Parts: sequence; structure tokens; C-alpha cells
Amino acid sequence: METYGSVGRDEASAALASVRDSRRRMAWRGYPGWYWPATGATLGALSYTTGVPGWAALAASVPVAAALVIITLAAGRARGVCEGWTGGAARQRERIVLYGPAALVILAGAAASKFASWPPIAAAVLLFVLFAGTGLALSARAARQ
Amino acid sequence: MTPPHRTAPAPQPAATAAEDGFDDLIHAPVRLRVCAALDTAREIEFGALLTLLDISKSALSKHLSALADAGYVTQRRAVRDTRQRVWLRLTPAGRSAYRGHVAALHRIVGRTGT
Repeated sequence: METYGSVGRDEASAALASVRDSRRRMAWRGYPGWYWPATGATLGALSYTTGVPGWAALAASVPVAAALVIITLAAGRARGVCEGWTGGAARQRERIVLYGPAALVILAGAAASKFASWPPIAAAVLLFVLFAGTGLALSARAARQ
Repeated sequence: MTPPHRTAPAPQPAATAAEDGFDDLIHAPVRLRVCAALDTAREIEFGALLTLLDISKSALSKHLSALADAGYVTQRRAVRDTRQRVWLRLTPAGRSAYRGHVAALHRIVGRTGT
């Protein structure tokens, strides 16, 4: 059996499991309660701006994007975590679960507003519910583990 | 207990890593979890790391001291809301040693499985 000193397969597996656990905790624990609803609402507002005609959409999206950055920085300060440009602790699959539906709603909402009488506020509300709900659920699951 | 009072710049890394990347210093369970958390961020505040890892302040201080002595972790003090906070980060040597150690663990698991 391949080992390093006294480290065998079982111990190495346990060590890797603890690494995964630390990463999961880093990815989802410690967020302030307001973070997921606030980010969901800001993403919803960003989605709403895609339904605004002409240059007003661009003008409206700038302060919303700035608010998104401010919320992210404030949450990092509240958590005591500065992710910088490391890419964070979330796995690719987890990012897709969190941001995928939101991105789909933004794209679908933008397309629907062009071809149908789809009110932009509907996409904004749907996005808020999806993002805040997913974020809160992932954080709650990590807190239980 | 308070966080260890060592400051940057870090000393030279201790020679704890084997050629295959396995690192005895990092392999200790708490230190491995500390490095795993620090590897995913640029900096983490001492209190946040305590909460994330669910360990005592004295235990975390002890393990951080060992990692700092090896040159794997550096600390920065900053005042926020009138309170002094200690921010921790992996040094390039620490990040490299940690990733090498995880790769070595994967090799042990992979090879023994075949």
C-alpha cells in the first residue's frame, strides 16, 4: 500500500475531506443576513434596467452596478473575508446553481420584453426570489453541516 | 489568549515539505483546515477564521504561530470600528506548499486505490 510515512489512504482521504469542508464553510458561511436579499434586489433592479428603453438603460444600470459592488465589499467586511481576485471558495457547479437561474431570467426577461408584453418588474421579482432563496438555502445548508 | 503577535515580513520557509509535496507541518488537521480556508481568499480576519473553523482562540493562535514561523502565513493589523483586527493571509510559499500537500494527498488516495 502506497503511503507517505505513516500516512495511508484512509488518513489522506480524511484530510482531503476536511479540506473540502473548510472550502465549503468559506464559500457559504458567515454572510450577514441582509446580503442575499440585498444582492437579489440589486440584481433584480439590474434586470429591470434591461427593459428600460434607449440610453436610459445604460444610465440606470451604472448606479445599480455600483450598488452591487458596494454590497459585495460591505459583506466582505462584515464577514471578515477579503476574497480579492482569488475567485472565492465556491465551486464552479455551486456558482452555476446560484447565478445560472439569475442570468437566465435576465436574458429571458430582456428577450421577452422585446417580443411580448412581459412586464420587466416580473423578471426583477422572479430574479430576486430565485437569487435570495438560493443563497439563503445554500448558506443555511452550510451552517447545518 | 490573543492572536499571535508576529508581524510581516515572513521568515524563510522551513524545510518541512518533502520532494513530492507532502508537508508534515501543514498535515496537522487544524493547520490543514486553516490553509484550506486561507487558500480561497486573499485575507481572512482572525475572528472570522475562528468562527469558520469552530475552534478555540488559543488553538488557532498556536497553529497560526507554527505556520507563521515556517513563513507560510503573514499577519496584518488594522483598526476597524475602533477595534484592532488581525488579518491573515497565505504567503506565496505557503500557498505553494499547501497546494503541493493537497496534490500529494490526492496521489496517496489515487495510487492506493488502484
